[in-house]
Amino acid sequence: MYNTIQIKAGEGGWGGPLTITPTEKCHTVLCVTGGGIHPVAQKIADLTGGVAVDGWKTTLPDDEVMIAVVDCGGTARCGVYPKKKIFTVNLMPVGQSGPLAMFIKPEIYVSAVREKDITVVGEEAAAAAAAPAQAQQAPANDGFKTKEQAKEEIRQANEGKKQSIVVTIGKGVGEVVSKFFQAGRESIDMVIRNILPFMAFTSTLLGIISASGLGDIIANTISPLCGTLPGMLVISLICSLPFLSPILGPGAVIAQVVGTLLGAQFAAGAIPAQYALPALFAIDGQVGADFVPVGLSLGEAEPETIELGVPAVLFSRIVTGPVAVIIAFVFSIGLF
Amino acid sequence: MSIISSLAEGFIGLFQAGGNTFAGWVTGIIPLVVCLMTAVNSVIKLVGTERVEAFAKKITRFTVLRYTLLPLIAVFFLGNPMCYSFGKFVDEKYKPAYYDAAVSLVHPITGLFPHANPGELFVWMGIAQGLQERGLSTAGLAIRYFIVGLIVILIRGILTERIYFALTGRNKKAENA
Repeated sequence: MYNTIQIKAGEGGWGGPLTITPTEKCHTVLCVTGGGIHPVAQKIADLTGGVAVDGWKTTLPDDEVMIAVVDCGGTARCGVYPKKKIFTVNLMPVGQSGPLAMFIKPEIYVSAVREKDITVVGEEAAAAAAAPAQAQQAPANDGFKTKEQAKEEIRQANEGKKQSIVVTIGKGVGEVVSKFFQAGRESIDMVIRNILPFMAFTSTLLGIISASGLGDIIANTISPLCGTLPGMLVISLICSLPFLSPILGPGAVIAQVVGTLLGAQFAAGAIPAQYALPALFAIDGQVGADFVPVGLSLGEAEPETIELGVPAVLFSRIVTGPVAVIIAFVFSIGLF
Repeated sequence: MSIISSLAEGFIGLFQAGGNTFAGWVTGIIPLVVCLMTAVNSVIKLVGTERVEAFAKKITRFTVLRYTLLPLIAVFFLGNPMCYSFGKFVDEKYKPAYYDAAVSLVHPITGLFPHANPGELFVWMGIAQGLQERGLSTAGLAIRYFIVGLIVILIRGILTERIYFALTGRNKKAENA
């Protein structure tokens, strides 16, 4: 009797959810986690009705492997099994990485999996819950080794291994190091995907403005108007207008471009430095105004809440936009 | 001929200026941001979002914390845009106000913690770079930006909450009539 299970990504994980149904031929959970059967592999085997084997001790043909459980920090193993088209569960929070990254796809790979991320799917869930209760009575009745007893032995064998201090420390250090490494990878990824393209775009724009002489015109005409408290208030009011703010909002591109242009004016001395703080709020009265419905649904708000929540946020900005500039103006006293 | 070559020089000059700016940003901003982001991201991974969520649930009841500390930990630990998902811990009627508070912090936080919103760094960085070119320190400005940001999100939260209540109240009256 086999069950279909679903495995979803755990905290900080990537990929999935995977839905897996064992067959007569293909029902083995291959555990390649540095010795012994990992509890996650054991749970997959228990819930599906398959068997878990230790990949360090046993080898078997690929077409008999239902799923591979690995604890790969992001180089080799996490890509090997997806490349073979075998479902892969990684215990580490690793996404598409390593030399085989192109084979790691959410349909075949899921990471940061813990025992609680594995669930039985559909009607069979009830049957699976009932099964252990029957099974516990069974061993008392006959002298043969049942499947449950066999599993118990595996578990005991594993427990013996867990006590090794060296292994525990090694795994702990490995986990911390892999988290640091992952954090570095994410940071570089963020720089390449988001920060550098924006720098390329704005520096080109800034270069054209300054080299063409347009910058001097701005510095002589618009900047003196903006570099006063009333000027800042007018900018923030315009940014906060409910019919304009959703248009000005997306990706904060306009706020960033205006921020950079103002930065050039601060550098040139066209706007006094003490206006930097109010300026930061003046150009940002529209922040997130384009994103209200999406942001609210991320917070699992009801459709009725979103309907009235959007105007509530937009109207509130007309007041809080300029108020923010005034607070910032007061707080910049004594700065520079 | 000389006209053409001076035209070409002027044309290249437009992008030469841009290239210099770009090179300055890459060497001046990115190394710091990369190391800071790596360090903070590691701390976030070691703490784990589940622990943060358990704490977040406890503080949603208090008005002041709901619009200051809650958005702060959401933005710090989850960044933009996942910070808005903490709205699920807040009562339905407070969700628009929570969103307004959280979204208004995603730029003020970048002065101190760029990891929270690296895609939108230049709201802060644009102005900060200008001041640095004049030889001014931006540390004090970053701290004040952050503090004023917290004050502003509290005001936004409370005011948006009031406006939302007024709008729903009016809607209910219209339905009853």
